[in-house]
Formats: sequence, C-alpha cells, structure tokens
Amino acid sequence: MLWACLLLPRLALDVFARAQAPSAQSAARPFAVTTGGHYPRIVSADAAAAAAGIRAGMLVSAALALAPAVLLRDRDPAGEARALAAVATWATQFTPGVSLAPPDAVLVDIGDSLRLFGGLDTLRTRLQQGAAALGYAARLAIAPTAVAALLLARAGHADTMVRVEALPAALAPLPLALTDADPGIVATLAAAGITTFGAASSLPRAGLARRGGAPLLATLEHALGVRADPRPRFVPPQRYAGRLELPAPVDATEALAFAVQRLVVELAGWLLGRGLGVLELALTLEHEHHLRRHLGTPGSLVRFALAAPAREVPHLLAVLRERLARVTLPGPVEAIVLESTLCAPLAGRNLGLLPGDHDRATVPLLDRLRARLGEDAVTRIAPCAEHRPERAWTGAGLRPAAGNAAAPRSGKKSAPRLPRRAAADTSPSLPLPAGPRPLWLLAEPEPLGARLAARPWVLQDGPERIESGWWDGRDVRRDYFVAESPAGERVWIYRDGRHGFGEGDGEWFVHGLFA
Amino acid sequence: MNALSSSLRSSSLDAVLAHPAIWRGGDCAPEPAAVPTGFAALDAVLPGGGWPQAALTEMLLAREGIGELRLVLPGLARLQADERDVIWIAPPHLPYAPALAAAGLDLRRLVIVRPAATADALWAFEQALRAPECGAAFLWPQGVLDDRATRRLQVAAREGGSWGVLWRRPGQPGIAGAAPLRLALAPAAQQLAVHVVKRRGGEVARPVLLDLDLAPTPSGRSDKDPAGAAAGDRGPPAAAHAGPRCAPGRGSLRGIP
Repeated sequence: MLWACLLLPRLALDVFARAQAPSAQSAARPFAVTTGGHYPRIVSADAAAAAAGIRAGMLVSAALALAPAVLLRDRDPAGEARALAAVATWATQFTPGVSLAPPDAVLVDIGDSLRLFGGLDTLRTRLQQGAAALGYAARLAIAPTAVAALLLARAGHADTMVRVEALPAALAPLPLALTDADPGIVATLAAAGITTFGAASSLPRAGLARRGGAPLLATLEHALGVRADPRPRFVPPQRYAGRLELPAPVDATEALAFAVQRLVVELAGWLLGRGLGVLELALTLEHEHHLRRHLGTPGSLVRFALAAPAREVPHLLAVLRERLARVTLPGPVEAIVLESTLCAPLAGRNLGLLPGDHDRATVPLLDRLRARLGEDAVTRIAPCAEHRPERAWTGAGLRPAAGNAAAPRSGKKSAPRLPRRAAADTSPSLPLPAGPRPLWLLAEPEPLGARLAARPWVLQDGPERIESGWWDGRDVRRDYFVAESPAGERVWIYRDGRHGFGEGDGEWFVHGLFA
Repeated sequence: MNALSSSLRSSSLDAVLAHPAIWRGGDCAPEPAAVPTGFAALDAVLPGGGWPQAALTEMLLAREGIGELRLVLPGLARLQADERDVIWIAPPHLPYAPALAAAGLDLRRLVIVRPAATADALWAFEQALRAPECGAAFLWPQGVLDDRATRRLQVAAREGGSWGVLWRRPGQPGIAGAAPLRLALAPAAQQLAVHVVKRRGGEVARPVLLDLDLAPTPSGRSDKDPAGAAAGDRGPPAAAHAGPRCAPGRGSLRGIP
C-alpha cells in the first residue's frame, strides 16, 4: 500500500481564483475569501492580498483598511465540497482507490499504479502537475498509510516515504492537533505535557483508550500501519458535469477559454478513469441574473460534437477554443458548466516505441474543421437508392453511423426497356445506377437554351428515361443523354418530358458534367 | 523525342553522362514522393513519376467537364487505399456520389468542406495540407489568390506531405505563384490534353494526350467491365451496357445533328 495525499490548503480561495489565468490574477485586484456572517473574517487571501498584509483570521474591516481595492467573496462550502469531489473524480484516472478526506484533501492509493504510470517519481510529478492544471495549490505527501500521508501533508512535509519502518520516526515530531481527534482529548493530553504524535503513541494503549482516547488511538494505529484502515472508495459520477464560477463577470470569449481549460482537465481525468472518450459536449454559459431573466433561459448553450471519441486535453481544448471563438455572447458570463452528453468507450493508447512518437499526436483535422466552420460545412456524401438523379445521393454529417441513414425507398423505373444490371455488378450496400453518371452534378439544371444553336453537338449515349417520384409531388419525366458540346465538354443533358415527348415539346437542360 | 535520343546515344556517352557531377537540363529534380497518376504517359513527364506528394499543384482548366476529375481519380483512389483522407474544399458543383463511388473512390474517405468565406476556405486548405491524415486536398478558390497565400499554402503542403491542388476554373487567371507544378487542361478531340506549364525540371514542349476512358480502373473494381475496356469503347465505362437500351435516332434532339 502506498498512499498519496493531495492536500489543497487554499481550496476556499482556489474555487474562485482558478477560473483566471495566474498571470491575470497577479494583474487583477487583490482577492480574498471571507467567512461571511456578521463579523466576517478573512479565510484565505491570494498573493496580491497577502502582499498588502492581509492574513487569514483578520477581520474584514482590517483587511479593507489595508487594501481598499481588495475583492472579497463569501466562502462557498458547498462549492468547496463539489471542487473536492471533482479533484477526486479527476484522480480516478490513476487508480480506482480514491477516497475523500474532507474538508480539503483527497487520498489516492497509488501502490498498484506505480508500474503503469512509470514509477513513483513520474506518478508524483503527474499528480503535482495535474493539480496545478486544475488550478489548485496542492501539497503532496506520499506515505505507506493514508493517515500518515494526510498528517504529513497537513504538517507541510511534502515527503515521499515508502517504508513502513520509517513511519514512527517521521510522525513522532508532528503535533497532535493535526489529527482529526476530538479537541477535548487533545487538550487533556496537552495539559499532561503530551503534545506530539511520538509522545502519544508511546503511552500505554489500554489506558489511553479507557480515558476517552479511543478515536485518537485508532488514528495513531492507522497512521503507523498497525491497524487496518479500510476506506470507503470515492465513486465517480456517471456523467461528467463541472461548474466553474468566475471571480468576476466576463464578456470576452478569450477569457472564457482559460476557465474552460480547467474543466477540460477534470473531464479528461474522468474520461480516463472510466475508459471513455467523449463524443458530444455541452457548455452552458450562465449569465447574470437580470440578463437571465431577460433572455428567459439560464444561459447560452454551446454544443460540441467530435468526429471520434476523444479524451486528450489538447485535442478537446483546441476544438472548444475554435468553437468558442464563433460564439457571440449576449452579455457577461458569471459561471460556466461543462457536461458530457455522449460518450463512447475508448481503449487506452499504446505507448510510443520511439521517443517523439507522441509528438505527432495532434487534433484530428476534421474536428478542427468542424469546430471552426460549423457542423454543416463539413460533410461526407453517399449514394442512396433513388432513381431521380438529384436525390440519388445524400450529404451526411461526419458520424459514420449517419452516413448510410435511411435511404428513401427506391422508386420504380417506368421506362419499359431498361435492362437490369447484373446483380453481381452492384454490391448490396451501394445501389449504383445503371447508366452513365457525371462526376459533377449541377445544383440546379441549367436550361440549354441558345447554346443548342451552336454546332456540332454529338450524342454519345442515351436516351435513358427516368420517370419517377409522382407520389411526392416532385415527379420527373426526363430523357437523359450524354453529349459532347461544341467546345469539347462532355455533359449530361436531358429533355424535360413532363408535358410529353412529342415533336416541339420539352426543353433541354444540362444536369451534370463528366468532369 | 526522348526515345530517339536514347537510341542514338552511344554507350560511352552514357558512361560519361552517368557521372554524378553532370546534371542535365532536361532532368527533373527528384521529388521526395509521388503518387502514380494511373496514366503512364503523364507519369513520364511529371517529376518523380506522379502527383507530387508534398507540393502544390495548380490546374488551369480551359473548360469544365473535359475530364479534369477523371484525371485525378486514380491518384486519389491510391491515396485512399493508403488510408489517407481526401478533402475537397468549396467544390464548384455537387460532387455526385453515385458516379464517384462507381469510379472507385471510397466515399468514407472523401470529405466535402463548404466554408462560408474565402478566408475560411484558405484556412481549411492549409489545415488539410498540414494534417498527416490528409492525403490530398483540393481547393476551388473564389476569386484570385495573392502570391503570399499560394506561397504559404506551398509551405504547408511541403511540411504536411499532402498533395494540394488549386483548381482554376475557366476564366480565372493563373498567377505566377509558388506552386511547383502547373498543368493546363484542355479538350482535344475526345481526349484530354495535359500541358505541363511548369515543373521542376526541363520544359515539356508538347502536351500529353490522355484517353481518359481507357484509364485503368482503380483496384477492386478492375474486373467490372473487361469487355468494354478491351473493345476500346469510347463511351464512359457503363456505356458498354447501353447497347440494348440505346435506341439511336429515337431521341430526336431538336437542333442537334
């Protein structure tokens, strides 16, 4: 067993501040979080506020006297609990053995994941960098027991300890006040001169338990690895929904992109933990109260779709950025919510054999094109079973399943002497027409009109009569020919026979080019 | 002409010319990679023996509907068989799926992009050229591209290893851009005349005449119509089946002899 404790000492502050880039934070006003209530006190202050002399525990009035421009927010305990759960969700990518240690720590059982993630040092770095990417100041301690890791992190020892034998010596100097034990018993022991972990653990255990220190004794034994310490596992949610409040309303999409990045890192952790890739995302931009009422909706909804399941942070970010750049905001945004609406299983990626194999991994082209140009601008085409040429194809979206969606039932060719093509020629999935078809089809047939007067036109193939569609009001009755124009183009022309094919009837149209 | 000169060349001259220090004006610069076009006569005049795999090609069309797409389809099918995508940006007409499928193109690997603005089209073209999964990207630009844009696209094609084609529709002027290969296509009595206007290497004075209907059908469909191909039928591939259906003289084409 090896536990990593990710302690978030500035959680109260970071739940607000992480929506802003660190560079923007330093340039902005000093920021602090208060307890709220009648005599609010400072809970946590950012670097700029600390530089102005604002400390935790200070009265807000004193803080305002020191820095009149300080931006104050009331503490949001529910938001902190959500944030802690989000960090735990993110950590499930490393191991399923994640448990919460409220109010501000997450315990991760990394003992079985060392080999998969390339050793302790690599995993430690990934945890550290991950916490930073999520936007939290984190203190990471690694110890053979969960409680020991938690205590070391609280004591500020960002240590890595692998052997159980080293625990008593390492824990001995830690003050008892760091444990979650009842303050009463800690005070009682302190009155007896017992303030450190080492002194308490050398007391006779039976006596300590009889004097009301049973929970403390359990903590001591859990920490030293003497007693088993089963912990409830954190269960990640079925679908991802992350909410991020912005410290100040934002009305530029570029500023939103950074906040979105924080949520995307969370999302990627959740996806990796569940072995999924995301196909569709929904980003809700929540507006200010009066604008919300004015618009009648809680916020602007921005939907994203990807061509294939994905969970790489750079990939998702690139798509989201391009898509966000096209959004026009009706007003300032107060909070953003990122939700996974559709996911699909995605197998783990193979590791590269050679160094640099991963450098080539970029955002798939089609996702980039769709994000910037819109879903409708990027299509695939497919033939479908229909005799009318303009309906014998479909432009489908990029999802492979949609490509052969619901081809309309084929009509019946009514021209009597059309030979059926040999069955072997057309595969069942590809209903190809019998006659010659042009590679370019004109969107609208063009009347030949005066061009007919020029000579010589040469008929090369035809006529192929197509008569179909009387049931849906778009009936056609045409005789198609392949013709070579005087200029040398080979075109697909037809004679419109809706009013009969008699002499002098029917106009001529160009419908395609044999390009 | 080449065949003539090679037959006249003596073997001792061959030995001299084989010296690595001698470079002849008629030689083509080596292309890193090229995709065979499917037309031996065209491969012979293209540097590297096919469509350049990391460069921009500019196609100037005398008219539309002269076989310009049939010229490139074998190359595209070959790229698709290599599991690379083909991307057409802002095509002037509807690419007709039944005909493209019949011609052997894998429609699952063909993506049609219709950007709203010219700037978006150029952006999409550049992205496609740079993407490793994209084998060929075609752009039918609206209006005139400036020299800087084509140079940028040429760099993108070179770095991305994609075959980029800029199509000039009839009436659109070609410019002395950065595309290292420029072909002018014109109809010539049932054939397609491909004039190599510019290439890396010596000039090609005479246009290459291609009979597109005799083009090798792409792999997988080659057994489709052996009789028609062997008979040298001039009609489109499916025309070999047209015998019983086609009733010459029955369709009275007013005004057409």
